[in-house]
Amino acid sequence: MNNLTVHPLIGLLLFPGGLFLLASGLLYEWIDRKLVARFQNRVGPRFIQPLADLVKLLAKEEISPEGVNKPLFFILPVVALAAALTAALYVPMAGFVPAGSFRGDLIITLYLLSVLTLCLGLAGANTISRFAIIGATRTLTQLFSYEAPFLLALLGPAIAAASWQITDVDFYAQQHLWMAVTQPIGFLVALVGLMGKLELPPFDSPEAETEIVAGAMTEYSGRGYALFRLGKNIELVIGLTLVATFYLGGLANPVQFLIKTLGLLVVLAALQSLFARLRIDQTVGLWWRVGALLALAQLLVLFLLR
Amino acid sequence: MDGQAGSPWQQALDKVRDWARINSPWAIHYNSGSCNGCDIEIMATLTPRYDLERFGVKLQGSPRHADILIVTGPVTRLSRERLLRIYDQMPNPKFVIACGSCGLSGGAFRGCYNIVGDISEVIPVSVYIPGCPPRPEAIIYGVVQLLESLKRRNAPAVNLPRQEGAPA
Repeated sequence: MNNLTVHPLIGLLLFPGGLFLLASGLLYEWIDRKLVARFQNRVGPRFIQPLADLVKLLAKEEISPEGVNKPLFFILPVVALAAALTAALYVPMAGFVPAGSFRGDLIITLYLLSVLTLCLGLAGANTISRFAIIGATRTLTQLFSYEAPFLLALLGPAIAAASWQITDVDFYAQQHLWMAVTQPIGFLVALVGLMGKLELPPFDSPEAETEIVAGAMTEYSGRGYALFRLGKNIELVIGLTLVATFYLGGLANPVQFLIKTLGLLVVLAALQSLFARLRIDQTVGLWWRVGALLALAQLLVLFLLR
Repeated sequence: MDGQAGSPWQQALDKVRDWARINSPWAIHYNSGSCNGCDIEIMATLTPRYDLERFGVKLQGSPRHADILIVTGPVTRLSRERLLRIYDQMPNPKFVIACGSCGLSGGAFRGCYNIVGDISEVIPVSVYIPGCPPRPEAIIYGVVQLLESLKRRNAPAVNLPRQEGAPA
């Protein structure tokens, strides 16, 4: 029942920050791609594929296109990655006690995770490429549509645990029935909200390859693109950890962490290969007409039953 | 990328870089005036039947993300500028694969009033894949030949300095 603790410096450099996060981000990207490939009846990429992609991109030339604000162009990927890495300090990565924890760190974590999306939108708007600008617009539009329902969905367990501190919610979840059972609607909204946050299909219209090339990332090459990809992988791990902590009965040890996050990842991969891409107006409509209302109804039930 | 093989540290770094480059070739596909036969075969190559993601090949939409430019067809006068522009937009190191008979020599269209010529007359080409159209197996073989030559470090490297005034 008790979580293990680590020294702060190790927490910052090795675990759960730094190296461990980078490695687990790459690992989870591979698992995701492999699962989608298997669902599509393919063999799928090899184990080392994300690492090879990363190293290759880092070793490539980085072009700064005409018409961009250069300092902004180079700093945005770094800020995005840093925000994603920082967010990991407040969630129980691998079932350990978070490196830093204070009252209200749930809100901080959610905002740090949004910084990556904001950086993506800024990066797209910074260039003069029309594809990047359309991509940036869609990224930010999507941000405004999923953010509120996702936050409401994560507030459900926090209200049940009567605390906005992630560790408290973790302990509460460990001692009670899985909240995916007691708050099924919130779980659904949180899971689908995570897909919207990570721009996975069917919510990948911000980077729709068939219409707008690569969305906000169109003009990025080499290092910048590698850092953005890495940031997104880390966000995947953190998002899975958050949802597993809140809705799947907490994370008490590394074994639970692996089983629960990988189980969630299988569901995410299945949903990804099941659905076709939604248009951006369909995405927004889905979130505000269905997602937000469902999450609000869940909260209402929670208040009434307290 | 210039191979001053000096210190062991440099050699180790070069080895890692080569390994990553060989294992993660991202491609972009451009039709410079082909009859679409080769394009259909390239699409077939990327389907689950052949599953090139096994080898790390991904089709990218943006030239900024790609390592390999796969060009099909002879170069028409209209598409010459576009081809040069896409080539200039790709970050170094970059490689070009000419796919299909027309890309090799101009094929049936050689000498037409609207044709500049084959692809190597416009941009430097690393690998030629013959066939009208080449089968997916042939295309995979061509990509493997490029990666093999990368491994032997004697790929016709095309790290030309970026031209002044080229669209960056």
